Amino acid sequence: MDDLIKLVRTYRLTAGLAERLRLAEAIFRLIEPDLRLFVFNAIQPPAAEDVLQEILKSVAASLKDFRGDTVPAFRSWFYTIARNRLNDHFRKKASDRLQPMPQDELLDLLDASEQAEPLTAADRHDLEYALKLLDGSKPECRGYLWNHYVIGFDYGEIAEEQNLNYDNVRMKIGRCLETAKSLVA
Amino acid sequence: MPNQNTDAEAALQKLGHRVRLGWAKKHPISDKSLESVKATVREQWEQEQTASRASKPAPSPDKDRGPKPPGPDMER
Repeated sequence: MDDLIKLVRTYRLTAGLAERLRLAEAIFRLIEPDLRLFVFNAIQPPAAEDVLQEILKSVAASLKDFRGDTVPAFRSWFYTIARNRLNDHFRKKASDRLQPMPQDELLDLLDASEQAEPLTAADRHDLEYALKLLDGSKPECRGYLWNHYVIGFDYGEIAEEQNLNYDNVRMKIGRCLETAKSLVA
Repeated sequence: MPNQNTDAEAALQKLGHRVRLGWAKKHPISDKSLESVKATVREQWEQEQTASRASKPAPSPDKDRGPKPPGPDMER
């Protein structure tokens, strides 16, 4: 991921079109799957592709304006753009909100991850436990746990999205985790 | 079953890592996405070129003139 921030910094300083295109391709090869996962887990498929394209264009158009120096800052920056675009869409069509990813689709992704990194028996045990934690959670808690642990949003980002304060989100996620654990135990 | 407080968090983080990894394997960047990005970069670059040309001061009329014709004094 360190490469990502190097690419972003270089893009910022690059004037030539050919080099910018090369850098943009390298940057978006790294971040597009994460953005796609975020969007396709929030919006119904027919609209998701269009919203994703809008997000990609917005991120690409503002790339030279990003002033941070770390991957977390960059992620936070492009996810803010993504959330704003998603919210724009929901204001127009709230019914496009998607239900949580079904368990069989999740298992499919875990299998696919094995092609990149083999799973040990301990990994399988942990993943089974994590799936039970999500499965046992009420929808609101599942949403918090999913966004924090699976998508990777920090408390501040979730607070911004939910219009809550940081401590409120930290406590909500802590409580959701405690409840899920007690249900699985 | 893991029972330490941190185990639940670690397991969920592992799940997140695996889900993102599996997702990236199943859904590498599409040609459509790459084209959107490249078209935006091109468009922005062209706007910058236009803005940069517009902000450059217009060449001074003196510079465009050829060598000054010899004045009456020089002809003498």
